[in-house]
Amino acid sequence: MGPDLEKGTENPVDRLNLDVDIACVGFGPAMGGFLTTLAREMEQASGEPHVQSTVLPGMPLQVVCYERADDVNFGVSGLVTEARAIRNTFPDMNPSEIPLAHPVSEERIVYLLDPHGASRRSLGLRIADSAIRGLRWVLPYRRSALELPFIPPFLKKHGGLVMSIGQFMQWVSNQVSSSGMVQIWPGTPVGEPILEGKQVVGVRIADQGVQKDGTPDVGYMPGMDVRARLTVVGDGPVGAVGQRLDEQFGLPEGHHQHDWAVGMKVVVSLPDHCDLVPGTVLHTLGYPEPEIFGFLYVHPERIASLGIFVPSTLASPVRTVYRYLQHWMLHPYLWHHLEGGTLRSWGAKTLQESGRLGEPYLAGDGYARIGEGSGSTNVLTGSGVDEAWMTGVLLAEGVIDLLKKGEPFTQANLEAAYTNRRRKSWVETGSRKAQHARDGFRKGFVTGVLGMAVSGLTRGALNLKTRSAHPREGIPDLNQYYRDRISSEELQRIREECAKNAIPLHDALMTRAGWPEIPLDGKLLISQQDALLLGGKVQAAPGFADHVMFVDPAVCEQCGTRLCIEACSAQAIAPSPSGGTPEFDREKCIHCGACIWNCTQPRPGDRERGNIRFYAGAGGLHSAEN
Amino acid sequence: MTEPVRNDSAMKKILLLAFVEENGALGKPALEALSGACELAQAFGAALNVGLIGEFAQKAADSIASCGANQILAVQGPEFASARCATDSAAAVALIRAAEADFVLAPQTTRSARCMPGAAFRAKGRIDTRITGLRVDEGTLLIQRWYYRQRMVAELTRSQRPWVVLLEPGVFSPWSGGGGHAEVSIVPVEPVETRTRIAGIEPASAGTQTIRPDADLLFVAGAGWTKKQADGEVHVEEAENLIRNFLDLTHASLGSSKSLVDQSGEGQKVISLLTHMHQVGQTGSTPRHPKGLATCCHGEEPHVVGWRFINERRAVNLDPNCGWARGKADVLYVADAFAVMGKVIELLGKDAGQAAV
Amino acid sequence: MESGYHIVVCGSLVPDPLQTLEPDVGPKGPALKNEMVLPSVLDPWAAHALYEAAHLAKEYAGSKVWLVSVGPKQRLQQLMMTVAQKAPFSFVPVDGSASGFCDPFETATALANAIGAIPDLDRSRLLLFGGYASASRDAGVTLQVVGEMLGITEVFLAVDSLSVSENGEISLLERVEGGNYLFSECDCPPLVVGWATGHLPEPPNNPQIGMANMRSIMPALQKAPQVQVGAEGVSFAKVELPQQQRTTRIVKDVPVEQIAGEIVAWIRG
Repeated sequence: MGPDLEKGTENPVDRLNLDVDIACVGFGPAMGGFLTTLAREMEQASGEPHVQSTVLPGMPLQVVCYERADDVNFGVSGLVTEARAIRNTFPDMNPSEIPLAHPVSEERIVYLLDPHGASRRSLGLRIADSAIRGLRWVLPYRRSALELPFIPPFLKKHGGLVMSIGQFMQWVSNQVSSSGMVQIWPGTPVGEPILEGKQVVGVRIADQGVQKDGTPDVGYMPGMDVRARLTVVGDGPVGAVGQRLDEQFGLPEGHHQHDWAVGMKVVVSLPDHCDLVPGTVLHTLGYPEPEIFGFLYVHPERIASLGIFVPSTLASPVRTVYRYLQHWMLHPYLWHHLEGGTLRSWGAKTLQESGRLGEPYLAGDGYARIGEGSGSTNVLTGSGVDEAWMTGVLLAEGVIDLLKKGEPFTQANLEAAYTNRRRKSWVETGSRKAQHARDGFRKGFVTGVLGMAVSGLTRGALNLKTRSAHPREGIPDLNQYYRDRISSEELQRIREECAKNAIPLHDALMTRAGWPEIPLDGKLLISQQDALLLGGKVQAAPGFADHVMFVDPAVCEQCGTRLCIEACSAQAIAPSPSGGTPEFDREKCIHCGACIWNCTQPRPGDRERGNIRFYAGAGGLHSAEN
Repeated sequence: MTEPVRNDSAMKKILLLAFVEENGALGKPALEALSGACELAQAFGAALNVGLIGEFAQKAADSIASCGANQILAVQGPEFASARCATDSAAAVALIRAAEADFVLAPQTTRSARCMPGAAFRAKGRIDTRITGLRVDEGTLLIQRWYYRQRMVAELTRSQRPWVVLLEPGVFSPWSGGGGHAEVSIVPVEPVETRTRIAGIEPASAGTQTIRPDADLLFVAGAGWTKKQADGEVHVEEAENLIRNFLDLTHASLGSSKSLVDQSGEGQKVISLLTHMHQVGQTGSTPRHPKGLATCCHGEEPHVVGWRFINERRAVNLDPNCGWARGKADVLYVADAFAVMGKVIELLGKDAGQAAV
Repeated sequence: MESGYHIVVCGSLVPDPLQTLEPDVGPKGPALKNEMVLPSVLDPWAAHALYEAAHLAKEYAGSKVWLVSVGPKQRLQQLMMTVAQKAPFSFVPVDGSASGFCDPFETATALANAIGAIPDLDRSRLLLFGGYASASRDAGVTLQVVGEMLGITEVFLAVDSLSVSENGEISLLERVEGGNYLFSECDCPPLVVGWATGHLPEPPNNPQIGMANMRSIMPALQKAPQVQVGAEGVSFAKVELPQQQRTTRIVKDVPVEQIAGEIVAWIRG
């Protein structure tokens, strides 16, 4: 126990300092790769000077990792992976040792037609749908769906693994922690990086014992300053530290983070009649809206993970995910397998869909960035976990090199040791080929699919490039969006009704626009709030400030869209009864971060960002199956 | 699963062990356990003995004189008047030995819960607690108990003897046979060295007593009472008044959800009547009442496990899709609890004479 | 002369209370279905005991806190990530089952042996802490039996408050029937305290405490003795989820007066 701690016990309102060698933020796949690789070196080279701590002489390197979620296994991802990098790290990995993991056994891509006529389909798509229906006797068509006769090579996962990210990360954390070389601390949100000029000198843990607005309360403990020689930022696409760094340093020339999606998933106990075998991988497109992709992965023991991705290119002012997820599950092709199933878990996350083009500066003085927040996702193959893992491995290799040479973690050294490694790796090659693969979706579904096919089949040599725009652009107002379905008078009436009851609009509008009501069954088809409680087991520890803040209330006041309310995965953002700035309920938030990029109002003085600030907060999902 | 024990491990000497109340009588839980012990003695053809612990045992022994016990044993004296582990466990083990019991049944009370595990250990036996059912199946005693806080129920038996079982209230009807004069054999206990003195009983919260284990109705207040209402404001004082008035009129026992009692730690406005003792559910209590009324509770599993032993359940809540609707309540009223309870109080108040339940 | 208390807290992991639990009865007896997949937490009552111990240790200089846990080693390791930042303690892990279906005597034996092996433990200053209930077995038995095994008969159960007077006398409030407290005074340690919820909030995560704890936690885990903890002599006839599905009548869009009338009639009925 150091002197600072003693001081802290006497006067707990002083901000304490903790010195470590390497401070890491966010325990996801990238950090798994980083810590596993680094810990192995520390074990193997134990006692050698390069793995000795400089802050605590005589001890090994002091490496700590802070994770905001309440446990290391509360992550979310629909996960099928080639596991190229992961297997390289763990050549003897036996999937049967990881609960819910199974080798891929069967793959299918399915185009779902709209059985209700409620989705928004372009003329071209409607013609294509009619043609498919007309030829259904000769095509592999069943239950309103067309099973694609082949899988493009760039989408194949053969030889890969179906996993639960929560269980996989739990397994990784056990491997890493048992070495005793690194410490992983869940339930500890990092508030921000500590900057001295352009140098990152560590991180500041979020304050505890504060009221919702951040003012000190009973048991106030200011977040500790963890000062480090190197700060490794792997806090994902909406992480607080990554965001602050982007605000501080901007993005490299020509880069943007304009493409996003929410992935929402459920984990289901499959009904007895379901004949899907473990390792089955189903990908869907075309429904409930053409832009929405779906996935269904079958784990061992009759458990499946399934969900949808709702992208920012779905230009709807009432962009919901939950109800779309229910309609997707109810599609005859899927419901055939799911009917009678029971929801076990639920969750959602934001995906950074700009991929390589969304890459921030990968290294600076005292810090390096890894994982999804560093633009590692391959947007063509839809693969992110393995790539993220690899970036962590590459950074660890670079860091070990610098440690061996006794060189400091300056921008130049990190670029030479890490960025250059990354540029030469398969992550870079793959993401470069993929970087324009999804551009076409900005012009619509058909163009998008064509663009993806062109990029994929020519390995990125040819691309259908389009101009990138902030996701707020192209979002029509309600009247415009529903002009052919709902009169403006009726829209106004629905608006007033929903405002009166302080509920989002999307349910009422989707029903009015022709989507059938969801036949809640209390098992798999349940209300969104029940999904939070039964599936996500969402919790919010007291004593932390609200992590979603509306920057300028005046901006919210004049916002006509309030897409943040509609898009909130957990109904944690709700209309205010007074009609002004929406209200945020931390107890419901699952930290998906969708509110950041769904905000349609530019932040005063910063058009690249919306009027919502997303800080690091504790709590959220308490399910380890996602 | 291992085979159930065979009949040769059936009980031959059953001891009903009970603590005498301050007024010298036996409480309802003890009389319920006596009914159970009588039934078991009959089922096994076993000898029934009664062991009493208290300041004076004669009055209690007389009250059960006709229970059919072979002998009534007692440890008595001023040091056994109040609950204290060192003295109670010494008394209990002395009675178990004196009775040569292979099966000991005692009511589950805070007093027995404290001392009986140690007594079982000293008697070289084993103990099962919080038992909610006893059943004899083909000469084998099966006890019912819950695991993981009322999430799952099990029936089991065990081979170790003496076997001590603490029986939850409500499993048997209280024994109601006649009294008379009972011969009491006083069992001596070596002086017990103890460093503990009993200083008395204190109510957990000042003012009105709101935890009433014998009430017919459990009223549970959920976190919704302190949330913003339709007008965008919180109305904690109004909520507290409604709850207090309702309890005064009905003499119901008050319970609460975890989220509501936890709010005191978050610096929010709280309902001052509520303490952690009121908490019902996964990390709270599982009270027994014939009826339960939940207000502003969502009705999720961790909370509802606290309702396991409530017979008739009704809920008032604004969400028709909430957990109560999924087969957990008998009736779910989808309505504003402030309005409903206000009206309920008005109706009860009109005829206050009949309102008490 | 040495001062302060030697506080040993017994407690282990239980499934996170929000999880859906199902029994799985196999040839070795009952277990939880998908037990490995379930997230776990430090048993809420044991956690209160730990916070109270840390609080007491801070107040009385020279005190030390140990946390003794019987649980699968790997799960204990993960549990420490969420617990070790809360309070300073030395960890004494025992690698064995933390299942609720284990017999409390067997768990108590493992705990008592582990406590007996703690070097430098001064029994004349010993406060044996734990929860009076648990979210797994919830028998309320283990702690008293550990006390017996260690020769401590001063036992207090369902304690919400422990205070020490100037002369070292310890006052305790135990929950008893009817929302009351039994108020007792004990001259001095050793004693056993089974905590209810107490009055302390969960302490914030303190990274410094975590780092200091972890330096001894990992070596302790590596050396954790393996024990067999089961339920010898117990035969389970069945373990099942309660089948208490009710037919819920949902009353909505009905005037408040009508609802209130119905409730009043039901209360009186």
